[in-house]
Amino acid sequence: MRSLLFTLSLLCFASQTSLSWKKEEFRSCDQTPFCKRARSRSPGACSLIATDVTIADGDLVAKLTPKDNDDQINPLVLSLSVYGDGIVRLRIDEDHSLNPPKKRFRVPDVVVPELEEKKIRLEKFATENDPPSSVVYVSDGYEAVVRHEPFEVYVRERSGDRRRVVSLNSRGLFDFEQLGKKGEGDDWEEKFRTHTDSRPFGSQSISFDVSFYESSFVYGIPEHATSFALKPTKGPGVEESTEPYRLFNLDVFEYEHESPFGLYGSIPFMVSHGGTGKSSGFFWLNAAEMQIDVLAEGWDAESGGGESRIDTLWMSEAGIVDTFFFAGPEPKDVVRQYASVTGTSAMPQLFATGYHQCRWNYKDEEDVAQVDSKFDEHDIPYDVLWLDIEHTDGKRYFTWDSALFPNPEEMQKKLDAKGRRMVTIVDPHIKRDDSYFLHKEATEMGYYVKDSSGKDFDGWCWPGSSSYIDMLSPEIREWWGGRFSYKNYVGSTPSLYIWNDMNEPSVFNVHNAYGYYFHMATSDGLVMRGEGKDRPFVLSRAIFPGTQRYGAIWTGDNTAEWEHLRVSIPMLLTLGLTGITFSGADIGGFFGNPEPELLVRWYQVGAYYPFFRGHAHHDTKRREPWLFGERNTELMRDAIHTRYTLLPYFYTLFREANVTGVPVLRPLWMEFPQDEATFSNDEAFMVGNGLLVQGVYTKGTTHASVYLPGKESWYDLRNGKTYVGGKTHKMDAPEESIPAFQRAGTVIPRKDRFRRSSFQMDNDPYTLVIALNSSQEADGELYIDDGKSFEFKRGAYIHRRFVFSNGVLTSKNIAPPEASLSSQCLIDRIILLGHSSGPNSALVEPLNQKAEIEMGPLRMGGLVASSGTNVLTIRKPGVRVDQDWTIKIL
Amino acid sequence: MRVVALSSSVSFCLLLSLLLLLASAIRSSSSPLNDPFLGISPQDEKYYKSSSEIKCKDGSKRFTKAQLNDDFCDCADGTDEPGTSACPNGKFYCRNAGHSPLVLFSSRVNDGICDCCDGSDEYGGNVTCPNTCWEAGKAARESLKKKIETYRQGLVVRRKEIEQAKVGLEKDAAELKKLKSEEKILKGLVQQLKERKEEIEKVEEKERLQKEKEEKERKDAELAAHPGKGDGEEKKTDDNEKVDGGTDGAEMPGASQDQDDDYPDEDTHHDEIGNYKDFPTDEEPAAEAGPTSILEEATHTNPADEPVVETKQESPSSEDSITDGSQNDGRTKKEESDEVKKVDDLVSEKKEELSKEELGRLVASRWTGEKSDKPAEADDTPKADDQENHEHTPITPHEVDEDDGFVSDADEDTADEGKYSDHEPEDDSYEEEHRHDSTSSYKSDAEDDLDLSETTSNPTWLEKIQKTVKSILQAVNLIQTTPVDKSEADRVRKEYDESSSKLNKIQSRVSSLEKKLKQDFGPGKEFYSFHGRCFESKQGKYTYKVCGYKEATQEEGYSKTRLGEWEKFENSYQFMTYTNGDKCWNGPDRSLKIKLRCGLKNELMDVDEPSRCEYAAVLSTPARCLEDKLKELEQKLEKMMSQDQPHSHDEL
Repeated sequence: MRSLLFTLSLLCFASQTSLSWKKEEFRSCDQTPFCKRARSRSPGACSLIATDVTIADGDLVAKLTPKDNDDQINPLVLSLSVYGDGIVRLRIDEDHSLNPPKKRFRVPDVVVPELEEKKIRLEKFATENDPPSSVVYVSDGYEAVVRHEPFEVYVRERSGDRRRVVSLNSRGLFDFEQLGKKGEGDDWEEKFRTHTDSRPFGSQSISFDVSFYESSFVYGIPEHATSFALKPTKGPGVEESTEPYRLFNLDVFEYEHESPFGLYGSIPFMVSHGGTGKSSGFFWLNAAEMQIDVLAEGWDAESGGGESRIDTLWMSEAGIVDTFFFAGPEPKDVVRQYASVTGTSAMPQLFATGYHQCRWNYKDEEDVAQVDSKFDEHDIPYDVLWLDIEHTDGKRYFTWDSALFPNPEEMQKKLDAKGRRMVTIVDPHIKRDDSYFLHKEATEMGYYVKDSSGKDFDGWCWPGSSSYIDMLSPEIREWWGGRFSYKNYVGSTPSLYIWNDMNEPSVFNVHNAYGYYFHMATSDGLVMRGEGKDRPFVLSRAIFPGTQRYGAIWTGDNTAEWEHLRVSIPMLLTLGLTGITFSGADIGGFFGNPEPELLVRWYQVGAYYPFFRGHAHHDTKRREPWLFGERNTELMRDAIHTRYTLLPYFYTLFREANVTGVPVLRPLWMEFPQDEATFSNDEAFMVGNGLLVQGVYTKGTTHASVYLPGKESWYDLRNGKTYVGGKTHKMDAPEESIPAFQRAGTVIPRKDRFRRSSFQMDNDPYTLVIALNSSQEADGELYIDDGKSFEFKRGAYIHRRFVFSNGVLTSKNIAPPEASLSSQCLIDRIILLGHSSGPNSALVEPLNQKAEIEMGPLRMGGLVASSGTNVLTIRKPGVRVDQDWTIKIL
Repeated sequence: MRVVALSSSVSFCLLLSLLLLLASAIRSSSSPLNDPFLGISPQDEKYYKSSSEIKCKDGSKRFTKAQLNDDFCDCADGTDEPGTSACPNGKFYCRNAGHSPLVLFSSRVNDGICDCCDGSDEYGGNVTCPNTCWEAGKAARESLKKKIETYRQGLVVRRKEIEQAKVGLEKDAAELKKLKSEEKILKGLVQQLKERKEEIEKVEEKERLQKEKEEKERKDAELAAHPGKGDGEEKKTDDNEKVDGGTDGAEMPGASQDQDDDYPDEDTHHDEIGNYKDFPTDEEPAAEAGPTSILEEATHTNPADEPVVETKQESPSSEDSITDGSQNDGRTKKEESDEVKKVDDLVSEKKEELSKEELGRLVASRWTGEKSDKPAEADDTPKADDQENHEHTPITPHEVDEDDGFVSDADEDTADEGKYSDHEPEDDSYEEEHRHDSTSSYKSDAEDDLDLSETTSNPTWLEKIQKTVKSILQAVNLIQTTPVDKSEADRVRKEYDESSSKLNKIQSRVSSLEKKLKQDFGPGKEFYSFHGRCFESKQGKYTYKVCGYKEATQEEGYSKTRLGEWEKFENSYQFMTYTNGDKCWNGPDRSLKIKLRCGLKNELMDVDEPSRCEYAAVLSTPARCLEDKLKELEQKLEKMMSQDQPHSHDEL
């Protein structure tokens, strides 16, 4: 069975060639029959009507048949399910009772099992006559409608004008190519370049239109190196040759920014947002190659007219219609709704949120020791040292080059003694070498992906002739996971974690999901290794819906250019919006040699990436932070220190993402949904709800224009200077830092002491930075757990809410009563931004002690700001982080 | 577990919290309060103790004595928290009695890792740090003593090198001067010969035309003509020369094999030449006695320039000399042998006309003079092949004797401060030197050494030439009007060829000497001996070879990659750089940066490629055993020793 499903097309690495990205090497829509056909269809071409509407097993079901059934096609089965919290699932598939030649592929293991618990079992539906429609309840705010002739499905508001939110087939572009039997003379083969796809069941593509209402922009559908707000790809004002956004996991060598061609991952999830401040979302669970058009206003006669509607055309090569409508209405509601379908991001270990140092390749143990000691010599913290493919014995994963790494365990232990971890790479291509234990075992067990003739697929990658483990099988995934045990992975220790690269191999049908299953198997393997006590860390390059549950991802092989620094932000914003919050771009750019200024700026921006790693290609010069002169070392050290200072805030945000699905890195409009000036801003971003960061993306810049949204003020993170909201400010962007601001009304927890790694910060005291709004109020949260185990799932955590109001700061427990973790960490410094001077002491309750208040310049990090604003600081209040207390300004 | 452990910050809350009072009481023994001046260096104590209000060193603020080390950062520069981790920019001083004091970043204080050997940085109770200063200090002192010894011995070697360099440079300069004057004279002679030769050839041409005319007339009468015997001989010579075709540098991997095959020939050849070259015959006692020819000195015995030659002089071996000479032309023994045969023929022809000495010179000039059509070769950027051949010659090792006498246990840099380090390392490292399993040696590099040997054995060679030329010119003069005497004409041509070839050689030698003298040999010329020398290190499958003032290569079997050409010294002679090596695919031109450090022997080690095609290596050399550094080390040791006495340790 597997051999039928898997028809491997493209191979491991485009990067084997010395050529960089070339448009003609990638299949365009015109060269892709299903895309070409779908794109040329006219609006209203779909004549399917919904009949036999009924309720079955809690779903609304109907048959879809052509109005004039001349085509003699089998009716399709439509089923609509409703889940709590504004989620509607629409499935359309062939009728399996009619004995179709072959089942279509449904993607397993992506939708979380918990979703079923949220299902609202439908018992009835209402009917409307103008036009004939069936209506079901979704939530108090929304209902779902199936119009019968022609069929259309949409979600609308229940009250008022019953405005539409999101709809499918409103433009009549729905098409579903049914599986057939190959007749004699039918040529179903598809060829592209040297690749031939035999397509035993003929064409089976699906396409349809999706409309978002009251929307100014649509976002999402990663992974593309383009702007955050998706540009129209078809229609008036768009060049004829413009390609749709392609979702096809590919290893693209030296990718270009501003290209709609797909990169390493695919998430067919789109979010809209508009001037009313409302968002909605649409997700198609499908692992086949997909192309998506964003249609420009006026693309057909009907569109336009001030309706603020955005039409999109979704085209997939295969699979079924398994789609989700998310009603919103707030942006955070949409991401939460998506997360309840595909899962929230895993809670990372604390170390994984620190700085990672990587290079292809740290050559040997001496090199590792050298780099490690240089970090200490320059007082630059880092948490993880990475080893790329060259650490292995001839690219045989799970092995070590015995000449270069004769004592891997000792090496890891030395790092571990400083609280540092190591990550080694394990790729899915297995060297075909009979003396290689992994290959032997996989061959004997029949665990490899098969080619069309039923033999183990033989491809070409780093190790030479290679095969791929069939990750779609749960049994094989479990076996794979077992490879990571300390016994099986000789030379591994508990401080070793894993990196999955090159996991985009092209597999027809389930292609886009391969890397996902591989990531899942590796991550589960690490959980097994740690006997369920150690949170896994696995970095993957390929992505798919659900990837967030298994680890971090990075944006692949970028280049040391300013434009690549710039595009990293829209890329990470898109990933965060589509569930994958633990993401980052290679600091400095993988290819090429960054000039010191670019590298410094990249560290300054990268310090706010959720995943913060420096990496470089082996053809590049060394670029560890101390190699560019004292001043640049100082600047990079400070950028990294900034990240470490903010780790308590980041960790709290990772927890928020883990619970709600709201990303760490957020577009401005997620926090300011009404502020239209933010909708297409992808140069600035929010870290949580409290921090706005504006990147510097051009050489020689000393000034920046920063739009600060909202009505409240903003405080410069470095010097405490105040800026009013709702305005674009021209300000200095000195080499010391990029513009970053704390939003009035928020509290940000920090740890100001420098350490070698996050591990040594465990007992260090906290600083609270309270930025008061115009009502002299602020609030914020702090989440703490042991930073490594799963005990937090059993309540071993601290979750506090700090509220400042009426001159009193209160620490409240917001963890459920059963939660219990104690910490003797203190809060030893409380900074009040925007407080008038005057008071010189505070009363700490219940200790009934006084704490001193002094005025002094705001400080952050090791670089002393030249002109820090005087701010009010409560010295050493002596309060513990795990207890209730109040501090009253006297 | 670490959550439970209390940080030092707990202790100041003593005043505030009953709960904390209890907790801190348990651990009060390790409280920083025991020593309010913790982390302050002795030089700084006055600053902190002088008044009750202390200024932040950056002048930004003042703080009270109570705020000193109270685990709360008041000064941005860390002045108020020398003993805690509270300030990002703070520094912690540990006394390390029994060892050397250490200054730490404040980030190391109470981080659970023992950084100071006296354990003073970990008083927070996270970890118990045993006092290891005595053992570590002892080891450090031993290592320092060893190092000082290396420096002392190295300095002696270095001084010797400098003296030799001085002599060598003087000789070079004198040779250059002499050569220049000889060049001038020879130029004149060559010019004269050239004119005479042209005159003769004019006459000959005339005669030839006349003869042709006569011949034609005779031909008309007769039926056929036969080619002359001489033509046939010439052809044969050409054939022989073809064997020599590869002499200008083609790689001859099989050279040593060939040598073995032709060994008997070689012997003969060597004996013959050797007699002439190295051991002046009784007929020429002057050669031994009077060093009147600078040329001889320079080319034959130039210790600084060519240690190889020097070695040979000490234990004269004709074979070596010959081999050496042949290498310079990049030839193999086989070729030489062929040539010798050829020359032998010639010699037998002329035997009766020439003295033994002249005969010898003729032979020598023939086999060196073959290259006279490519005179520029000699001072070209040296050809790698020269070295290859050199390596393949089975002669005695080129090690200079004096180097063998030293054990190279010297070391100033620890592994941590190895080739990646871009600055002069601190000498505080207590670690023992790493011995590397790479082999290292240095070899002579015969690059720009010209073989002027045929001119060298006789101090009066120039006079003789002058005399010969004079006599030839006179002789030819006499016969100018009469039909040209063939042997006389040949003599002029031969003499012209020889002289101009000699001139070419002298000119290339002059230019290579001029180039050499322009090199940067260091402030004391201590790197003079690097000129013409190569240092080798075998690492894995690669042999790295670094040749002073020339080039650096990486060799694997017969394939060779140029890592760079000599560029310059950097960082006050701490580094040697080679740049513009072979281009890297998708990368930069290769380059090599060599860190120099004091050692008793010139030894190349630790060759590595930290970045793509940017190589790094370490070379230990007496040239870097500097007096100032030695003094510094001695002072340091003194300080360490004096520290031992007062603070004796409980555990001792």
